[in-house]
Amino acid sequence: MIRLLRAALVAVLIVCATAGSESAATAASYLPITGTGSTWSQNALDQWRKNVASNYGMTVNYSGVGSSAGRRDFIAGTVDFAVSEIPFQSKPEDGSAPEKPKTGYAYMPIVAGGTAFMYNLRIGGKRVTNLRLSGPVIAKIFTGVITKWNDPAIKVDNPLLALPDKKITPVVRSDGSGSTAQFTLWMSKQQSSIWNAFCTKVGRSTPCGLTSQYPVFSGAKAQNGSLGVAGYVSQNYGEGAITYVEYSYALKSGFPVAKVLNASGYYVEPTAEAVAVALMKARINTNEGSADYLTQILDGVYSSTDKRTYPLSSYSYMIVPTEVGGIFTTKKGNTLGAFTRYMLCEGQQQAAVLGYSPLPMNLVMAGSDQIKRIPGAGSTGIDTAKCNNPTFKAGDSPSKNQLAASAPYPPECDKKGATQCTTATGGAGGSSGGSSGGSSGGSSGGSTGGDGGTDAGTGSDDGSGDGGGTDTGSGTDGGGGVVASGAVSQTYSLPDPGMGPAQWMMLAAGVLLVALIVLPPFLSRRLRASRGSGER
Amino acid sequence: MTIDVRGTVRPADTQQDDGVPERRTLRPRASLADAVFRRTAFAAGGITVAIMLAVGLFLALRSADALRVAGPGFLTEQQWSPETGRFGVGAVLFGTVSIGVVALVTAFPLALGTALLLSEVVRGRLRGILVSLVDLMAAVPSIVFGLWGVFFLQDNVIPVARWISTYFDWIPIFRVSDDSGATLTDDSAFTSSAFIAGIVVGLMIVPTMTSVMREAFSQAPVGEREGALALGATRWGMIRTVVLPFGRGGAIGGTMLGLGRALGETIAVYMIISPVFSINWEVLKSGSNSVSALIALRYGEASDFALSALMAAGLVLFLLTLVINFTASSIVARSRSGAQSEG
Repeated sequence: MIRLLRAALVAVLIVCATAGSESAATAASYLPITGTGSTWSQNALDQWRKNVASNYGMTVNYSGVGSSAGRRDFIAGTVDFAVSEIPFQSKPEDGSAPEKPKTGYAYMPIVAGGTAFMYNLRIGGKRVTNLRLSGPVIAKIFTGVITKWNDPAIKVDNPLLALPDKKITPVVRSDGSGSTAQFTLWMSKQQSSIWNAFCTKVGRSTPCGLTSQYPVFSGAKAQNGSLGVAGYVSQNYGEGAITYVEYSYALKSGFPVAKVLNASGYYVEPTAEAVAVALMKARINTNEGSADYLTQILDGVYSSTDKRTYPLSSYSYMIVPTEVGGIFTTKKGNTLGAFTRYMLCEGQQQAAVLGYSPLPMNLVMAGSDQIKRIPGAGSTGIDTAKCNNPTFKAGDSPSKNQLAASAPYPPECDKKGATQCTTATGGAGGSSGGSSGGSSGGSSGGSTGGDGGTDAGTGSDDGSGDGGGTDTGSGTDGGGGVVASGAVSQTYSLPDPGMGPAQWMMLAAGVLLVALIVLPPFLSRRLRASRGSGER
Repeated sequence: MTIDVRGTVRPADTQQDDGVPERRTLRPRASLADAVFRRTAFAAGGITVAIMLAVGLFLALRSADALRVAGPGFLTEQQWSPETGRFGVGAVLFGTVSIGVVALVTAFPLALGTALLLSEVVRGRLRGILVSLVDLMAAVPSIVFGLWGVFFLQDNVIPVARWISTYFDWIPIFRVSDDSGATLTDDSAFTSSAFIAGIVVGLMIVPTMTSVMREAFSQAPVGEREGALALGATRWGMIRTVVLPFGRGGAIGGTMLGLGRALGETIAVYMIISPVFSINWEVLKSGSNSVSALIALRYGEASDFALSALMAAGLVLFLLTLVINFTASSIVARSRSGAQSEG
């Protein structure tokens, strides 16, 4: 009996094995590859994975577990590639052991983007979509110094908004994240006094640099992953919340992002063009011998004096193996090579629509050299003449960026001063009912965001309107509504208790449950006592 | 086992009739099938126990590094930063228990009522349908509960939490205040709290508790039930005097089993709470933590030592649930219903 079973089992296994290998051999010449890491650039990667799966039958598995976890997986050799915003930390700020991969690796920039400040704020029931913030204000919000939306400092940035007396809920990442690293790097470089004071408060050593783990502080919420923070902000209870997240998440969830003040005094939204302009000033490590070859030094970006600059722009990197090791083999290198070639050229076409910014020519060419170092990827680089990347045309000089050259200058109303543009930002400009934010509608709506917002904003008048004029500020009900202060009377209202029938039912159920626990022993004792006395 | 012996005992009985006083040694000769069955059963049981022990041993060994650094303060320290050597499960363990208690308060009445309904009130096909419905609830993956909690329940339960905190803020645990003691009423003060996480976990453990309780209640002896009814008891009187006392052990055991599961619940808690590393007595207030959520959150990016610290946290949770489950099973075994079901 047992022998029979065993024989059957072996037979089944053999059949399975042969079937498996056969199907794998016939289906595609590409072995599936796996990667983990950043959620910052996940929206772009997910789109590319989808494209290569349908066009080339290539399977690329990717899970956004956070940059820190991605780098760790790469060191452990459990993935073929990792995606991270920051390089391996040879001297981690928190004092943990240095990150040192055992096998060779190379950094390859995959996409650029802006770390945006997505928020959920209403004035008199209308969503604010044109908030502007300066650097110190952002730093103070995320360090618990500014706690109310009607803080005078925010008022200075937004002269035309009648900001409500509402608590600000900063939403930070609870997992180790590259977004946090980029954001805290910017704070440590540009707002160092505020950031250091915060570090002292939460018990970290100063001067403190970037950190991947945002220290939690009273009043802040910590949520997991980019989707987690964006999801929190976009809920009803997220009113008053603000978070740092890649621009594409704001587009996807249909919410506005704050325009950030740059060095030349303009408030700018992290559009593909603004990011491309800013990153013209990024200093890229061009020393090919260095372990940090191609990594970014962003000081120039933060202080770029171009009016069109979005200061929190950065590149996201793929960490690719240059040696076989862990689960990575030469055959997988073939897939990885083909995927990265697609990514650097064709894939960049969709970057802007998704909320990222395409890579410029010099980085594509440098990335092409990195591809050649992947074992099994072949020695063909990228032909820049056929690349179809929106930042350059055939015959361009590598340092030129078509996107940055043609980037529009910010309107004068976005200059720091007494005026304020009324156009909607981020995903809020979409016409498809901003707050619902379906992933399909969001991306297309987001790309036309500016236009929709303009239409919506034309209703705002010159400030002569009185309290009754709130409705004139907005043309659409979807969230494209823009509130100008002239049309808004600032009234103080008690928070709506929100007790609908459902909530009363819940309470009733709760009371019943409590009664069910408390009453039976009590009642039975009473009953018994009364019966006892009756019998006597 | 008794079946094995019976076959050989009977001949001995017949022999005694002949008046031969000689005692025969009873050596049960198990058939091949019996032997195989016995060995398999023993092996399966042994392996299960061995794996349990191995898990405990593994946790203990791997956590030794961290425990050596942290010392006994590990149980009281609230911060969690293994990199700087200041870490402990004080806050995390408190959060775990507070979520577990909220879950029990939610789940116990629901489970008790459902169990009584299924064992005493409904009959026939409806009962079968309801039983499988409850079992189906147990099969819902916890991530689904988590999503539901985050994207639906949280929004709807905030007003209730606010109502409770408004009218019952004289009870310290229902107060919601900031650091300076001022009362908070914003929506954001009530999100991601132990209360909401506890409700979701409570709904997840209802099926487990219900099935244990129903099992216990349905074993209440028919004779005693009929006796109570014959003496003129109403159905509620019968339940109160016969079923509940009989099934008390089962009810307590089921509750403890549910608690054990509530303490270990990971993904739903992980999705709902906003992790804080300080003891938060105000269950309605945003911010809590749990051991399993901490592990899920940090293990991906943990260095070797941080991993050891996480193992230590896991060991504490492991021991806690072990104690709870042992207590539960001993209570069940000592009760009438439990004793009968074991015998």
